[in-house]
Amino acid sequence: MTRWKLQKGVLNIGFYILLALFLLIILLPIYYIFLTAFAPGDRVFTQPLTYVPQSLDIIQRYERIFKALPIAQYLFNTIFLATTSTLISLALSFLAAYALARFNFPGTNVILLILLGSTMLPGVSTVIPLFQMFQTFKLMNTLHGLLLLYVSPLLPITVWVLVSFIKQVPTEVEDAAKVDGAGFWSMLWKVVIPMIRPGMATMFVINFIAGWNEFFTPLIFSRGPASKVITMALTEAQVIDASSQFYASWGNMSAVAILVTVPVFIITLICQRQIVEGLSSGVFK
Amino acid sequence: MRRAIARRYLLAYALVLPVVIWRLATSIYPFLYTAYLSFFDNSPVRRTFDFVGLDNYANAFRDINVPSALNFSLFFTVISVSLQVVLALGIAEILNRRFPLRGITRAINLLPWAMSGIVIATAAQWIFNENYGLINDILWRINGQRPLWLVHPDTARMAVVLTDVWKNTAFLAVVYLSGLQGISPELHEAAKIDGANGPRAYWYITLPQLMPLIISTAIFGAIYRVLSFELVYALTSGGPGTSTMLLGYLAYLQAFRVLNFGYASALSMILFGLVLIVGLVGFVFLRRAWARL
Repeated sequence: MTRWKLQKGVLNIGFYILLALFLLIILLPIYYIFLTAFAPGDRVFTQPLTYVPQSLDIIQRYERIFKALPIAQYLFNTIFLATTSTLISLALSFLAAYALARFNFPGTNVILLILLGSTMLPGVSTVIPLFQMFQTFKLMNTLHGLLLLYVSPLLPITVWVLVSFIKQVPTEVEDAAKVDGAGFWSMLWKVVIPMIRPGMATMFVINFIAGWNEFFTPLIFSRGPASKVITMALTEAQVIDASSQFYASWGNMSAVAILVTVPVFIITLICQRQIVEGLSSGVFK
Repeated sequence: MRRAIARRYLLAYALVLPVVIWRLATSIYPFLYTAYLSFFDNSPVRRTFDFVGLDNYANAFRDINVPSALNFSLFFTVISVSLQVVLALGIAEILNRRFPLRGITRAINLLPWAMSGIVIATAAQWIFNENYGLINDILWRINGQRPLWLVHPDTARMAVVLTDVWKNTAFLAVVYLSGLQGISPELHEAAKIDGANGPRAYWYITLPQLMPLIISTAIFGAIYRVLSFELVYALTSGGPGTSTMLLGYLAYLQAFRVLNFGYASALSMILFGLVLIVGLVGFVFLRRAWARL
């Protein structure tokens, strides 16, 4: 009995050490990346490293970047694409999810499987024909063209997650609304959607973050400021003030990284609980 | 009566139509066309579109890059997924206990997941820098060593794995956490009564209960790794040499640098074949785990 108590004491300290180690491993690289943006010019290269902000040169760094690249446009594009694709995805996925969850029609399982299977298709295996289609229909480097591709991968998971949320809404509630004279659409809008609000909120956050972080699609289909997003600015900012082909400005990259990451961090910290619920419920099949 | 049912079905089809058409047009159809394209020699540069049958596939296996890519895919997938599962199980245990600041910890845990893959991969190139990177600075302070991370093939592979683990373990931990919370407490109580607690309870109760979840996440994890692109694109560009080459990246290079569409299509079909194999093998394991429950 005493042995167990002693072990418990040691276990506690061990637990906290592990916890501290865990937090350190996650936070230190992030801190370091942000820190690099503060180093002036080429004083990024010091040995050993300094872990404290060196100066406030970061303001000038941002000035240089904003002058050299249309970052404001990139930011706007990113916000637009992330928000719009999320809204479209939620709207369409909700309709489809409702039909799949409530109406047991022939093809329900086939559709769910096709949706799931389509997420396993390699990006490169769909990109070449899309590339050609985009050129034919003059969709290259357009926001609406990119929107088509942003929405597409969001649909399967959103549908899957919403199906499981809708199934948890008891049918009696819907029947009661019908008895009260509600039409189909107002029943959906006034009864079902409020009841799955946590699910919708979670998918909103997850879809938005996915849209914000998107890189592969704009890499292939964006050609200029009309549709480029800030994730693309990472490497572009590196070559500003490049004195030679081999000098990559890590400071500039870090400054852009801050722009790309901080909004998402804020969202994550605020919506932490919803994200956790959404991630875990989506996997429970 | 039949008309009412038919009307219901019509409504249902109308509701799913947008999603289905969207996905078919932007995912399924392009995929089928790529499969078709893989049997042609199609290059806008050389202005060719000739049927070549299985030549593209034959060339793929003669290409030095392909076996390297398959080799690294195996290494990367197995090691990264194994590490992530083990670490995520541990983290899930930690997050399941009650301690002050648990909310903040869970939030911090999600930060790597929330970061853009390209940001992490590009930053990792800096962090693994042999002279000025964070990792070598810490290692140097501990025992004076500075491994040549991205210069040497073996360490470059480890760097890719480590970066991948850093980013994705958090997500997995969250999934396992809800799995842990789904295990009915009666099982643990019964175990305590029988005198089993601590490690034994874990091995005989927690793990078997979590096994279907572990296997299904491992399958999806494996598939996701096989399809990995951003990490290799930004961190190593497949190098040094071809030690961190992945099929997805290779196909991208063939398609958009060399503009060899037919060959790139064949490569992506091979990649898809790989995904199928992983999925099928995993499914067999999953069935067994379900049966044991």
